[in-house]
Amino acid sequence: MSALLEEHLATNFYFDRTFDCEAAKILPGEFYYTAKPMLIVTVLGSCVAACVRDRVFGIGGMNHFMLPDGSGDPNNPSSASMRYGAYAMEVLINQLLKAGARRENLEAKVFGGGNVLRGFTAINVGERNADFVRTYLKAENIRIVAEDLNDVHPRKVYFFPQTGKVLVKKLKQLNNYTLVKREQAYATQLQGSRVAGDVDLF
Amino acid sequence: MADPNTKFLVVDDFSTMRRIVRNLLKELGYANVEEAEDGADGLAKLKAGNFDFVVSDWNMPNMDGLTMLQQIRADANLSKLPVLMVTAEAKKENIIAAAQAGANGYVVKPFTAATLDEKLSKIFEKMGA
Repeated sequence: MSALLEEHLATNFYFDRTFDCEAAKILPGEFYYTAKPMLIVTVLGSCVAACVRDRVFGIGGMNHFMLPDGSGDPNNPSSASMRYGAYAMEVLINQLLKAGARRENLEAKVFGGGNVLRGFTAINVGERNADFVRTYLKAENIRIVAEDLNDVHPRKVYFFPQTGKVLVKKLKQLNNYTLVKREQAYATQLQGSRVAGDVDLF
Repeated sequence: MADPNTKFLVVDDFSTMRRIVRNLLKELGYANVEEAEDGADGLAKLKAGNFDFVVSDWNMPNMDGLTMLQQIRADANLSKLPVLMVTAEAKKENIIAAAQAGANGYVVKPFTAATLDEKLSKIFEKMGA
């Protein structure tokens, strides 16, 4: 049993010279949100990222996750996959709401779910992640205003929360296996965990 | 397991999460479940109906779970109602605040049916004692 699964706030920041602004880089299992004129960047393989934003107040955030490859039925609402996915989305949305966003103003742009880990598992992990994020946002009445999902290429996503603008670069050629390795490590971590929060007794 | 007819109210602003909790309860044998979408809605439903158990989220618009819990404890007709907090807030201060407000249990998301079952059993056990 590994440590408890938890979505983490990104801790990786840099100054982006191309866009001349501060940037937060998020890794699998992380999220970030801000109301500042910042950039949030991530690189996606089979993982998905939801860029969720209050279109009135200009506050927004991005997560980056995949569903654990559980043995249960992914369409079962109480399966480990569904519970983890719903949790990853809720953590981001709750933070936005706490920071002043209003639920009725929320809109989303969703990316990733590429079939980049071919041969990794029998099922198409990317497609499953993409299906989940679409279904989830529909159930929660959060409109998807743009999407670039599935296909076979990894993507680099640049999200500007203040304006809602997103730039996507398809990475047709990977110079190294960092991305694939990172996603596989994340998948393994998810699978080894209990997909269960801590039990606190009182 | 307690009485399978135990009437639950699941309070959460995310319909996906309400569905997940409802399904987990069903897996544990409890099919008598109603839903509310925030604390204010939850409190109104509790005042109107004969509920036996509340499973509530913390962060919600209009009225959050902690405020709802405080109002339940302050209401003579509802004050004894068991309330299980189910939340994405894993911070110690949240857990302490919930305990001080009179929560009967606290589960951190994402949780399993087994965790939920364990918590419910413990609460029913204490109530019976």
